Amino acid sequence: MDWEKLVQLAVNGLTLGSVYALVALGFSMVYGILKLLNLAHGDVLMVGAFIGWGMLGFLGGAQDPSVGVWLLIVLMVLAAMVGCGFLGVAIERFAYRPLRRAPRIAPLISALGVSFFIQNSVLLLYGANFRSYESFDLVDVEVGIHWGPLNVWILRVVVFAAALAMMLGLWLLVTRTKLGKAMRATAFDREAAAMMGIDVDRVIVKTFFIGSALAGAAGVLVGLIFGSINHFMGFGYGLKGFTAAVVGGIGSIPGAMLGGMLIGLAEAMSVGYIEDFTFGRLGSAFSDLVVFLILIVFMLVRPQGILGKREVKKV
Amino acid sequence: MRKGLIAAVLAVVASAMVVTAAVAKTSAPAASAQVAECTNVSLGFLGPLTGPAGFLGQEQLSWLKFGAQKYNKARGTKFSLVEGDTQLKAPVALTVGRKLASDKKVMAVIGGSESQAVRVTGKLFAKNALASISGSATAIDLTKGRPYKTFFRVVPNDGIQGPTVVRFVSQNLKAKNVVVIDSQDDYSLPLAKAIANGLKKRGVNVSRESVAADDTDFSSIVANVGSNVNVVVFATQVATAANTLSNQLREQGKKALVFGTDGAYSPSQYKPRNGYVSVFAPDLHFDPKAKKLIKEYNAFSKNKSFGAFGPATYEAGVVAMTAIEKACADGKATRAETTKWVRKTKIPSLFGGTLRFSRSGDPLPTKFIIYKITNGKYSPVK
Repeated sequence: MDWEKLVQLAVNGLTLGSVYALVALGFSMVYGILKLLNLAHGDVLMVGAFIGWGMLGFLGGAQDPSVGVWLLIVLMVLAAMVGCGFLGVAIERFAYRPLRRAPRIAPLISALGVSFFIQNSVLLLYGANFRSYESFDLVDVEVGIHWGPLNVWILRVVVFAAALAMMLGLWLLVTRTKLGKAMRATAFDREAAAMMGIDVDRVIVKTFFIGSALAGAAGVLVGLIFGSINHFMGFGYGLKGFTAAVVGGIGSIPGAMLGGMLIGLAEAMSVGYIEDFTFGRLGSAFSDLVVFLILIVFMLVRPQGILGKREVKKV
Repeated sequence: MRKGLIAAVLAVVASAMVVTAAVAKTSAPAASAQVAECTNVSLGFLGPLTGPAGFLGQEQLSWLKFGAQKYNKARGTKFSLVEGDTQLKAPVALTVGRKLASDKKVMAVIGGSESQAVRVTGKLFAKNALASISGSATAIDLTKGRPYKTFFRVVPNDGIQGPTVVRFVSQNLKAKNVVVIDSQDDYSLPLAKAIANGLKKRGVNVSRESVAADDTDFSSIVANVGSNVNVVVFATQVATAANTLSNQLREQGKKALVFGTDGAYSPSQYKPRNGYVSVFAPDLHFDPKAKKLIKEYNAFSKNKSFGAFGPATYEAGVVAMTAIEKACADGKATRAETTKWVRKTKIPSLFGGTLRFSRSGDPLPTKFIIYKITNGKYSPVK
């Protein structure tokens, strides 16, 4: 057994998984409250990555930042969270709210339209060139944890810790605050919540703000650890985030976190071992096959996901 | 029910007829016979101006514009450019190629910059007798057996690049264990395969990996790279990808060097601490004779950085303009005449010697050049 490889793949999987988990949380929150698949969520991540890149440029760039590196990263993440939060609110207000009483297919199509609109808007504004965060210049890749088979770049640690902190923060918000209680009530029964005096519209807006802010943060984290961003990156992360949400149990916050980690680890491990397990027939290029096979298996065997609850409907 | 079915069938037939008519109209080979007034002729440009290889196309276009301005000034001509962005996507390249082929003013096309663009437009251009001259498409099959009768290139093909990389990696770097990565596209798959096979024949242990062309994370691929691996050869068209790969190797404490193929040549984007890159044309920055030209280009482009892609496209532009000028000796020219003169090209090359084309459309004689990169600084390997 090559422990170095296993440990390294686990590190990669957990980093990637933490990003997927952040995306999955947004999917889960919106689905929990509106029963809507916000297919534009991945594109919100992409916008977040571009806001972070803009902030990096505004503060002098990776080569010569005008503030300290860690402050710079915090500012990039905050800018992306605020920008994407408001983008999420705008999407809800103009693309979903008018369709709230329409058949469920209508907001789904609207979500697809929003996704293309955002993608093409960024293409128009920034062109299709890959933009570099130059994060390898920002923090040297050799700075980090080097212990036995473990080699982890400090930025990966920061990304993982930041993602965990945000997930924990969200969990506390949902379980321990008044807003969280209102969100849970709205998710449970929107009409009953309204009758109990909860301003459902306001709760939905806040849910979109928080979910989109998390996606924005995920966008910056992706840019930081992988170095480059582009206008179509949202599609891949959105798809994997959605898969994570379904696998973890859509509507469940701990489920989204668990699903994200599981998908991240599955992706990394399949790159590392798919060739061994298929006796050389499949190479690393087929790692997505494993990821989406997991999705299909869950849809067939446990459609409510790991931590989701089976929905019982009266007939 | 039956009426509805009949109506639907009629609608489908009518749509098919409209589409067929439209296709027939766009692919009509009338342009080849069209005679253009030489006072109003253009060069088409077919390359990735946006997308993951946008840096490459932008550099090429900038040098082509510079070349046209310089040529016009020196020869009193009035060449203009028609830009076509392939976005590094074959279907887009075909659409743009159709647009260029149907533009009567376009007498020659500079490009496609990437091999897949040539594959999808080669026959279309040949049908329209439109010469296309590439400054960067290196796939072997573009000229082998002359599948595209009007295609030429001023750079050597991967039939030269593959063995050059194999020889260097096995002889000069004395690598015993090598990982060869392709990026799942028409350019990199055959090149990576040729390099892997060549290395195996020389007794080198080779493992193959594959990534998507738009991948930005290679950390799990890097985990597969054993500590005994000396070199990772990456056949990619995205320089930032080669840069990320190199950094992720360092991140995981791997000592292997990254050897990028020509698509990775970019002193501004591929800046490993230690690495190599092969390229089809010498970087003019290292040529003392090119100082004047570089100075002129810097003044023209307001000091835009460049590598090897731009000057090769400049050369392709000079080939086209020279041919069109000869075809225009009587004041009018056709695309077929232009193609004939491109075939007969014999001009001083920017990189030394005389540029001519073989029967297959390849330049004579040529070689790939290897650059060593240390702390992001490029230097040619003697």
